[in-house]
Amino acid sequence: MANADPRAREVPAAGRGREAPVVEATRVYQFSAAHRLHNPRFGPAENARIYGRCNNPNGHGHTYRLQVTIRGPVSPDTGWVEDAQRLDLLVRERVLARFDRSSLDDLIAPTDGPTSTTEVVAGLLWRLLDGGLPAGRLHRLRLEETPNNFFELERGGVDR
Amino acid sequence: MILLTKRVEFCAAHRYANPRWTEEENRRVFGKCVNEHGHNYVLEVTVQGEPSPETGMVMDLKALKDIITEAVVDRFDHKHLNQDVPYFKEKIPTPENLAVVIWELLEPRLETCALHRIRLYEDGTFFVDYYGQRGPQG
Repeated sequence: MANADPRAREVPAAGRGREAPVVEATRVYQFSAAHRLHNPRFGPAENARIYGRCNNPNGHGHTYRLQVTIRGPVSPDTGWVEDAQRLDLLVRERVLARFDRSSLDDLIAPTDGPTSTTEVVAGLLWRLLDGGLPAGRLHRLRLEETPNNFFELERGGVDR
Repeated sequence: MILLTKRVEFCAAHRYANPRWTEEENRRVFGKCVNEHGHNYVLEVTVQGEPSPETGMVMDLKALKDIITEAVVDRFDHKHLNQDVPYFKEKIPTPENLAVVIWELLEPRLETCALHRIRLYEDGTFFVDYYGQRGPQG
């Protein structure tokens, strides 16, 4: 097809004849869940002092926003970061199907942490997703409890 | 070192298809993206540098905007990426490949500071980051 814009011909042949470029791809999801911050090792007064309003015996909830980043070479077949398709399926199966419209306190095991803080939930989500992807593919996970409070895990630490 | 980011938007049409695959295989892998459709892309260009002792700026934001407009926005905005951009006759116009070509377009045009990152949002639920061949620590 004829091209009206002569500058379009100047687009460089990026990546041609070289190794596949490494790109980070981030997908954004959300789920709604209830929880109560409470560490059974502490007494009622101590729990109330540490967790404040989040210790309400009847619980409360959030619409969590989850950003999952994978890092890898761009597939020459699809133009997507390798395993991008698997990521979507994995998040739906391992995270959204279990965590959306759930009570987080029922999903946290003692080995995950003392209570369902967003730090502890983010760590659990990292392990659930990392275990379903090829080694090193999961790069960053960001869990937003509210637009004002969010938590990030990154492979190799957040030294960028 | 300071990172400075300029955000711009452009709108473009595209479709995904690997010419080596059958229609059925393309539809299985790419789903509805085989059909022609479009996005309001949001592009964040991040450059890095030290603020000039004369101006206090890493780079003049207007100059950066002009470079991005000339090199990227004028080329891609209200275009059909598969048909209007020769690069995408060979490559599938995914955000990943777009980010790489945008890097290649901008990097040689920046003289006073270094390109740090290209972040391209396809919509509110998907974006890619590219740090060039050398990677984020490069």
